[in-house]
Amino acid sequence: MRFGIFFELSTPRPFVPGIERQVYDNALEQARLADELGFDWVWCVEHHFLEEYSHCSAPEVVLAAMAAQTTNIRVGHGAVVCVPEMNHPIRVAERAAALDLISGGRLEFGTARSSTWTELGGFMVDPDDTKKTWDEFVRVLPRMWADEPFSYEGRCFSMPERNVLPKPVQKPHPPMWVTVTSPGTELDAAERGLGCLGVAATTYAEQERRTQEYHRRVQSCDPVSTVINDQVTTLNFLYCHEDPDRAAATGMRMVQLFGLTNSHLLWTREAYPTRAYQSLGNLAPGGSSDRSGPGDPRGIPEGIGVGDPDRIVSVIQRWESIGVTGINFFVNACETISQEDVLASMRLFAAEVMPKFREAASVPGGGGAC
Amino acid sequence: MLSGTATLDELAARAPVMASLDAPPVALSDVEVLQSTFELPYSSREPALPPGLHPTTPALLVVLAWRAPSSPWGPFTMAQARVSCRSGVRPRGFVAGCIVDTAVAASGLAGSWGLPAVVGRVSLDRRYDRAELLVEGPDGPAAHLVALDPDPLGPDDVQFTVTTTLATTPRGLRLVQLEPEYELRRVERVHPRLLVFDGAQWRQPALRPYHPVSATVAVGQVTIPKLRFLSRPDVNAFEGTEKI
Repeated sequence: MRFGIFFELSTPRPFVPGIERQVYDNALEQARLADELGFDWVWCVEHHFLEEYSHCSAPEVVLAAMAAQTTNIRVGHGAVVCVPEMNHPIRVAERAAALDLISGGRLEFGTARSSTWTELGGFMVDPDDTKKTWDEFVRVLPRMWADEPFSYEGRCFSMPERNVLPKPVQKPHPPMWVTVTSPGTELDAAERGLGCLGVAATTYAEQERRTQEYHRRVQSCDPVSTVINDQVTTLNFLYCHEDPDRAAATGMRMVQLFGLTNSHLLWTREAYPTRAYQSLGNLAPGGSSDRSGPGDPRGIPEGIGVGDPDRIVSVIQRWESIGVTGINFFVNACETISQEDVLASMRLFAAEVMPKFREAASVPGGGGAC
Repeated sequence: MLSGTATLDELAARAPVMASLDAPPVALSDVEVLQSTFELPYSSREPALPPGLHPTTPALLVVLAWRAPSSPWGPFTMAQARVSCRSGVRPRGFVAGCIVDTAVAASGLAGSWGLPAVVGRVSLDRRYDRAELLVEGPDGPAAHLVALDPDPLGPDDVQFTVTTTLATTPRGLRLVQLEPEYELRRVERVHPRLLVFDGAQWRQPALRPYHPVSATVAVGQVTIPKLRFLSRPDVNAFEGTEKI
């Protein structure tokens, strides 16, 4: 089992001068501590225009700073939006390779297509096209990183022969992932030999079904590259404290505020009827992707990494038992928890929880050759 | 976290009165449905909503029209203008105004379901190349919408957000949650043009839709089920939700 921390860089109102700087500084400090404590990954999303929920629109810059301030932790795009109006594929390949160089080969490369009208509408993107452009990006990027020179005639872009530079340190390229929000996207990941970077709340039962189907399908995949990344991660919350009541009270404030800010996004399907977005994408507990499990007496929903160390160990053991190979944690949301408490929670997790899963740690990066 | 900033007293003054909350379900067959979305300026995001609701960013104006060939109130055509919002974490559309072409239907929709229905002229005309909605309120033109070039979609490709409407109920001033169910058999996406929109006719003069997003036309059965939930308009849904 591997562990990561995951940043939306959510920023509470009011947007007073200095608040975004504080959020960014806190995230950098959390990333440095995660590196010291032995976390495996630090991920940054790419979102645009999402007031409060995410002020992380230039993750390549944030991740470059994190890479420069850390030694071992792997830095992850969680994920690059593979839509040409937002990111031209050549620039995506260039920036990712540069980040892999800066980090000394520690880049994880997640891909996504965006799920809100706030973002797609802001860039005047046709929602019908995003699955198509994502598919095109994930097939072309490995070639841009490997071919010298590279040329392409495609649907969303074309280019004559050029050498796309620089080339990444990791060969043939950094591990590639797909963020999975909507049911069924895990199959898109499996069929292409891409890692399954879960970013939606699910129940144990639903995750088990998805994980089993993913592993079954990835065995016979037609990979987009010469390597397969067959890891399956989920996204969770982390607040660890010796006092279970305090852990629940503090951690659940974070969970609920994340849910509220997330649910206030304007989902593509609400604004624009399309076959390309079959679910709202709402990640909030109580929203359309409800974690409907029994939870516990303190009101912590099923599978959430909030509690004392013993509770969190049992939660992770359950995720591990259903085939999840990594868990990424939000350690704060909208600065609900003081920075001091966030760092203490991370330290306690690293001291009391992480060692119980360390023997299972695997090699860095993605899976093996196909 | 943003919440609505509309003054409740002003909203209450024009809220319909509901005599009871136990109206039986109403099934409307062969209803022509048009739904169209337009972005609203950020400046009208919070002022359009009561404090118990949260805005979306951007805010959407949703124009919804039904042409029902039969109903307990006889044939009627209705148009609503509503604003996208959230009740707690749940997607909702807050009804700013509702115009209906018969007095009987307006009275039924207001008294039984809390829609702020007023009588006006409403026509929804669907052709092979377009749909056209003309709405005239009590004091003048309210909306003229033309939606062109239909493309087929599946019935599940369209999202009809649950409606919330402010009414004076037997329990006092409440947001009434109205959850029409749609069973559609012919769905098309069309490109909307809003030729006329006067927010004053929909009781929200500040509503100025400026950016067309999409439109859908469809045919099918619309069922208005029994009411299940109310919420207080002055506090958020976590504190103010009441089961009927």
